[in-house]
Amino acid sequence: MPQYTLNVNGTEHTVEALPDMPLLWALRDMVGLTGTKFGCGIGACGACTVILDGKEQRSCQMSIADVGSSKIRTIDGLPGDGSHPVQQAWLELDVPQCGYCQAGQIMSAVALLERNPHPTDADIDRAFGDHICRCGTYPRIREAIHAAAKVTQ
Amino acid sequence: MIAEAEVTRRSFLKLAGGAGAVFVLGSFTSIACAGSHSEAAPFEPNAFVSIDRDGTVSITICKSDMGQGVRTSFAMMAADEMDADWSKVKAVNATGNDRLYGGQMTGGSSSTTGSGYKYRQLGAAARVMLIGAAAQKWGVDPSTCTTSNGQVLHAASGRSADYGSLTAEAAAQPIPSGQIALKDPSQFKIIGKPTNRVDNLLVVTGKAQYGIDVRLDGMLIAVIARPPALGQFAQSFDDTEVRKIDGVTEVLKCGVGVAVVAKNTWAAIKGREALKVTWSPNPSVGQSTNSFSSQLHAAAIANPEPPAGARVIEATYEMPYLAHVTMEPLNAVADVRADRATVWVGAQGPDGVRKATASQLGLPEDAVTVNLMLLGGGFGRRAINDFTADAVNLSKGLGAPVKVIWTREDDVRHDFYRPMNIQVLQGALDTTGTPVAWSHQFIQTDPGRDGGGDFQGRRISYNIPDAVMRHAAVRTPVQIGQWRSVEFGMENFGVECFIDELAHAAGADPYEFRLKLANDTCKRVLQAVAEHGGWGQKLPAGSGRGIALFQGYSGACAHVIEVKVVGKKIKVTKAVAVVDCGLCINPKTVEAQIMGATSDGIAIALTAGIHHKDGVVVESNFDDFVWTAMNTIPKVEVIILPGGPNPGGMGELGVPSVAPAIANAVFAATGQRARKLPIVLDGMV
Repeated sequence: MPQYTLNVNGTEHTVEALPDMPLLWALRDMVGLTGTKFGCGIGACGACTVILDGKEQRSCQMSIADVGSSKIRTIDGLPGDGSHPVQQAWLELDVPQCGYCQAGQIMSAVALLERNPHPTDADIDRAFGDHICRCGTYPRIREAIHAAAKVTQ
Repeated sequence: MIAEAEVTRRSFLKLAGGAGAVFVLGSFTSIACAGSHSEAAPFEPNAFVSIDRDGTVSITICKSDMGQGVRTSFAMMAADEMDADWSKVKAVNATGNDRLYGGQMTGGSSSTTGSGYKYRQLGAAARVMLIGAAAQKWGVDPSTCTTSNGQVLHAASGRSADYGSLTAEAAAQPIPSGQIALKDPSQFKIIGKPTNRVDNLLVVTGKAQYGIDVRLDGMLIAVIARPPALGQFAQSFDDTEVRKIDGVTEVLKCGVGVAVVAKNTWAAIKGREALKVTWSPNPSVGQSTNSFSSQLHAAAIANPEPPAGARVIEATYEMPYLAHVTMEPLNAVADVRADRATVWVGAQGPDGVRKATASQLGLPEDAVTVNLMLLGGGFGRRAINDFTADAVNLSKGLGAPVKVIWTREDDVRHDFYRPMNIQVLQGALDTTGTPVAWSHQFIQTDPGRDGGGDFQGRRISYNIPDAVMRHAAVRTPVQIGQWRSVEFGMENFGVECFIDELAHAAGADPYEFRLKLANDTCKRVLQAVAEHGGWGQKLPAGSGRGIALFQGYSGACAHVIEVKVVGKKIKVTKAVAVVDCGLCINPKTVEAQIMGATSDGIAIALTAGIHHKDGVVVESNFDDFVWTAMNTIPKVEVIILPGGPNPGGMGELGVPSVAPAIANAVFAATGQRARKLPIVLDGMV
């Protein structure tokens, strides 16, 4: 089986995997980072979102062979004390319900704010159009993104 | 560690040996508490409340948290009564064990109403014992001591003691007998205060552990090929191509399907794609949404004879099957050994999983441990244990720990759906436009039931004489289950759309019409929602405002919802909800539940439905079973009215009023009645 070296949250992990293994399963099963979640497998729900070279990437839609030397960031790489402004906003506004989709939502929020520090509601609608939260936390997610934007201002 | 075996029936408190002194308080018969053991039942020690020497208070949560926040609200209830320091309170999941924890099935919005009182009593009992311990230590009368924020205080001498320093003495205190005085609501410091959920930090750091995140040494992953059509089963399979995939270890029959077992999830998924299964002939040809609909309509009987001279209005509504689509796809991990088994699962009834697993394996219940994980959504789906049995079966057969994972397609196509149903309503108005009769036929699909009864008297939330209801079922092969708000979520759609139709027929304002017929509880909720929802204010052309009410789960909720219709596209632009949930434990949770319920209702009204063609589910994933998204959910304003002394259930209360409020808003915007869900403006009558 071929070997791949993934740069995840600043650490290199060498794993053996089938070339078409989605990054999602490579992260969860091979690297052992389970913060990134499986939701649909077709890029329709956003639960598996990671940041690849600064951009949101549905990790179920990219094979390990295509990752190359890209830098991958996952929820597991955010501060363990929850001190990132996006985490802070999420905590403050009590966003999660079941919490399962939130890793993807948070990574999308981090990527959005890094490229657009002051997103409008329309920007948020666009960036989160394909993110499903089955618990319906959307209004609090929106509020939290605005709150995090203020902090980073 | 708590030495459970040493705890006797007389001593419900246990001090653990060694350095970590722990005060442990269980559920006991000397305190009259809901769900306490009967004298005849075997006693097993449990630990609902424990305090570590460092002051950490652990509250064992006997129900499953699927996002409804029960881990937080139960902890709040116990912590408030014991005057604990909230920053030192931890929620711990109970394992599946109804002998220790009482029935654990989490559903019917019954956790807080059924067990909340118990948590308050346990907290209050712990407080009495902590005071007793401090008073003894200080040689003072316990009645001269008070408690605050994790400390016992003696004002006269200025002494104070942290709870963590009193664990040994507290454990030696007698257990308070009889009813323990609970706080008056005016004394609450935690209950009723907006409180963030106890699991938030775990979630935002990716450390929250759901069933799907369990990893064990030597664990295999299984994905199961399930029959495409209802009633089919695997006759044989060809796994030649599957065996070529690196990582696949086994291919074997599993129930009516075939399991592909691998060392990692991707190999299992890929293996299933390469698998060639010969399925038994499809016995469900012709079993399709249209045929189910015809069956349902054919099962309606003549409506009751309306009062002479009254004006009669009739309408029929139809709702499709509905999948649960929990965000975390179903999964379970089992490690079955010769004499014992361990299961890790996010289930709504871990005690039921334990019983089922014991019975499946022929083991005593004591030999089965069910570790309850966080649930990535439940909505009723995780109340059914079908997905655990496969993992247990495979682990036993393969002699290794096995995780069974469902893909989203498995989930959408093999659910226990909310039943498809039609509702036939008839109302009669007298010459003043007042309803004088009401009949409601609710006819649903059911794989195990056919036929129906006659009309029965039925109280509805509106004062209408001669209100009757009839329940009936038609047999279809589609398996059904409970779906958040269960029958109310369906029946209330008929009730609240039809009361709107009666109002229109009577030439009355839908809000005023409801108000005249409503009981006192509902009146208050309706008045508040009309006020906050801007009822009566003008809207631009193409927009409409709808109202709907629901009373149940020891509470009431009403929605005012605005929609904007552009062409055939319906967008919900505003949602206001008013809730009377009795004693509100956590306003943040109540708001979150109503927000989530509103999201559900929007999906139910506008986008989501499961359809069948020749016994095969048409939809398969989130691309065609469309749920909600950021741009389809408006800001949801939630107003919580001051309620009575007892809490109501919040998990489902907000759902039933949403879809009818939307349908009524669509009527206000377009003049077209939306009687079939999801609402499609094209082709509507």
